[in-house]
Amino acid sequence: MLKTLKKIVHGQDEHLEIRYHKRFSTVIQFKNGILKKGERKTLAGVGIRALVDGCWGFVSTSDTNENSLHRAAEEAIKAAREASNLKKEKIKGLGKGDVGQGKFYLYQKDDQEPEFGEKVASLQKADAKVRDAGEDVIGSIVNYHVFQDTKVIVTSSGAEAEIFDQKSEIGIVAFGAQDGKQEMAVVSHGVTGGWNDLFAREDLDKMTGRVVEIVRTKLKAGYARGGNYTVILDPRLVGVLAHEAIGHTVEADFVLSGSVVADKIGEKVASDLITLVDDGTEEGVGKVIVDDEGTVSRPTVIIENGVLKNYLHSRETAHMFSTEPSGNSRAYTYRDEPLIRMTNTFIKPGKDKLEDMIKGIDEGFLLVGMDQGGQADATGEFMFGVQEGYRIKNGEIKEPVKGINISGQAFEVLKSADSLSDEFKLDLGAGYCGKMQPAKADAGGPYLRCRVKIGGQQGEEEQDE
Amino acid sequence: MSNRDIYLEALEFGKKTGADHVEVFFNKSKTLEVVIEKNDLQVPKGDRYQGIGVRILKDGKMGFASTNLLTSEVIQETVRSALDLAENSPADPSQGLPEPTPLKEVKGIFDQQGENIVLADLINKGNEFMEQTRGTDSRVTIDSASFKAEIIERAIANSRGIQAEEKKTKFENFAMGFARDGEDVSSFDFEYLVTPEWEKLKTGEIGERLRKKVVGNLGAETIPGFKGNVILSPFAAVMLLFSPIVYAVNADNVQNGISPWREKLGEKVSSEILSIEDDGSLPGEIGSKMFDREGISPQRLDVINGGKLHSWLHNYYTASKAGEKPTGHASGGDQALPGIGPNNFIIKPGEKSLEKIINNLDRGLIVTRYSGGSDPVSGDFSGVVKGGYLIEKGKELKPVKEVMIAGNIYKLLHQLLALSNETQRIMNFNSPYVAIDGVSVTGK
Repeated sequence: MLKTLKKIVHGQDEHLEIRYHKRFSTVIQFKNGILKKGERKTLAGVGIRALVDGCWGFVSTSDTNENSLHRAAEEAIKAAREASNLKKEKIKGLGKGDVGQGKFYLYQKDDQEPEFGEKVASLQKADAKVRDAGEDVIGSIVNYHVFQDTKVIVTSSGAEAEIFDQKSEIGIVAFGAQDGKQEMAVVSHGVTGGWNDLFAREDLDKMTGRVVEIVRTKLKAGYARGGNYTVILDPRLVGVLAHEAIGHTVEADFVLSGSVVADKIGEKVASDLITLVDDGTEEGVGKVIVDDEGTVSRPTVIIENGVLKNYLHSRETAHMFSTEPSGNSRAYTYRDEPLIRMTNTFIKPGKDKLEDMIKGIDEGFLLVGMDQGGQADATGEFMFGVQEGYRIKNGEIKEPVKGINISGQAFEVLKSADSLSDEFKLDLGAGYCGKMQPAKADAGGPYLRCRVKIGGQQGEEEQDE
Repeated sequence: MSNRDIYLEALEFGKKTGADHVEVFFNKSKTLEVVIEKNDLQVPKGDRYQGIGVRILKDGKMGFASTNLLTSEVIQETVRSALDLAENSPADPSQGLPEPTPLKEVKGIFDQQGENIVLADLINKGNEFMEQTRGTDSRVTIDSASFKAEIIERAIANSRGIQAEEKKTKFENFAMGFARDGEDVSSFDFEYLVTPEWEKLKTGEIGERLRKKVVGNLGAETIPGFKGNVILSPFAAVMLLFSPIVYAVNADNVQNGISPWREKLGEKVSSEILSIEDDGSLPGEIGSKMFDREGISPQRLDVINGGKLHSWLHNYYTASKAGEKPTGHASGGDQALPGIGPNNFIIKPGEKSLEKIINNLDRGLIVTRYSGGSDPVSGDFSGVVKGGYLIEKGKELKPVKEVMIAGNIYKLLHQLLALSNETQRIMNFNSPYVAIDGVSVTGK
């Protein structure tokens, strides 16, 4: 394939990026003891992007014979040429980072990877274990997904990269019911690697135990009263904040359309304690090494000791900002064109102990994990659902609360940060980042103490005036 | 190979492997798309795709495999792969495939003009949209917008004799933007239109609506919290109320015991003013089709009738399990097993206009966009109002910001005050404005 792609790229005078991408995925899903999905899928094809007269054109096809690819390249060039007549801001050049050449393996192949049948048996057992916990647990879902990617990327700028990647993820859901109330809880993990990597942090037994515990806690919990509070966010919520609410605003395409941090490089945007980094070389599910424009990954310091340092770039925006791209241009499948995406985004840990952080709160909450939904705007305003909330009173953890959403302006929240734990985790779980197309991304950080607004449910018993 | 050659090859090979039943779903598409970002034309795109999904049943066990590499060799390998998964899976006696039933062609879902659309047509649409959205108002930024033209060919064949093909067109415009006036930045807002008819892709009108929304959100102020009346726009109503209803009436969720309405069939689940039907046989609608993902003809179905829960949405599996007939709601494409989903989910409009409903309220909040969770299991929701206007003394007053709303969907459905007579199509939903009493509004 490398040879064919090189022939096409070198046969054209225009700038071309050509990417063969074959994805082989396996999905297993159990719901209440029944195997709902046993799926094996192949999705393969070629995406070609041409830069002509300052405009891109992109064509993708599942027909990968050489003649069809030549035709697709011509079509991409034609599309770019047609659009360039109407494009106002022409692309004047492409930034150049380290160009990927050679073979890149993102994971160690594992000879101990179980067969499909063995995986089915393990997951079936886990699914049963959730419902066997007791009568209050009325339903279960176990979702497992693994995909292997083989990519070949050739560009007119000299990239000739063959990339081998594998991402695995697991999610376990428990549904609980008691006294006419229903609740649901989710635990999930995601890694770059295989089955054994996936369960290295927490095995299936521990996961099932934990999901049952969470759903039971939620069944017993009451609601919190809405208002502004001092809270401690766990590493997953810190990751969600770093990714959703901060990370997207520093993606250069968002910056160019006027995100809240436009023109703020060098300014103080967060507390001195905050250093926020995006790093595709880190061992998370967002590991990249070489991106889909053929650029080798490097860490990007976004915020250093509270000062905004860098945006995240594609080759196109890197040129506009007179800087170098660092491997953030990613495409989900061959049918997608590369967009500026995060990889592993995290806040660096501090020095404090979680117990001491809790002791410092008179009235507030310890918030753990993500619930349904979550969204943030280019203004930095965000809203996230929280899975587990625990009231803190006079420096002590008290009763659990449920139905919590936190919101605020992310940079204001980071300015209010006054304590970071020495514990650190990359832990976005099995989630995907969505921005026109999905991407596997990871995020995390330490436990972080800050001020947020809690939109609790104001039930009959707890109503504000 | 023709479409038929491809899926019949998979079917015939599947029958020879010793499988009890075989199903092949075929999907082919040609897509053109033009994208606008930052008020300027971006990447024009073209895509050609074809793929198959193969479902195999053997001794009550099921396996599924899909591929978009359609050589004879890979097709056969894919069938064998599905069989291998089936052989390594636990049995489920409820698994099966449907028999043929009469199918009726749906009018108005394929527009011949689709065949002639080229990228230049979409580029023109994009330009027209930019002019209408920004007009002379430089405060408006189109963050992203896309214009898409798609020709879709679907086919299904199974070993019990189902065999059908259909061709559809789909024209789409999605746009997201915000306004900025000095330091004052509005919330992001969006507009969306999807139609099978090229002539109905009126991008100028969408652009104008988006401009009004984001400019109207400038100068938003905070308000104190209250508990009272909220009017949800069709967009907000679909997100907040009707998506959870789709979850609650999905027969798979009912059978899995996770639908909050699982024991409520025939009972009152909402105020009497609410009636919902699902109809996949309507001419000219985007969710209409001759056959669902399993080859069943979609039925017109009363979902909620005068506040009473009338029926579930079924695919073949859930229908067989319940001893009922499938309703034509098997959803999905070639790359996954069938799920369950609505075809055209239609909330019946009320009698009053939105203006009349507003006039009748002493104090309330109009929510044009809601961003946040709504947990379909417990029904609890709590999220941020992204586009909101305060109503006082029967008048729509000022845009508001940093407002959150919270409550329980399944409780609020019993507190509906009114449905407007004007409706809007949002994807395959059609919804009026919905006025609700007793919603918790958290302000500053």
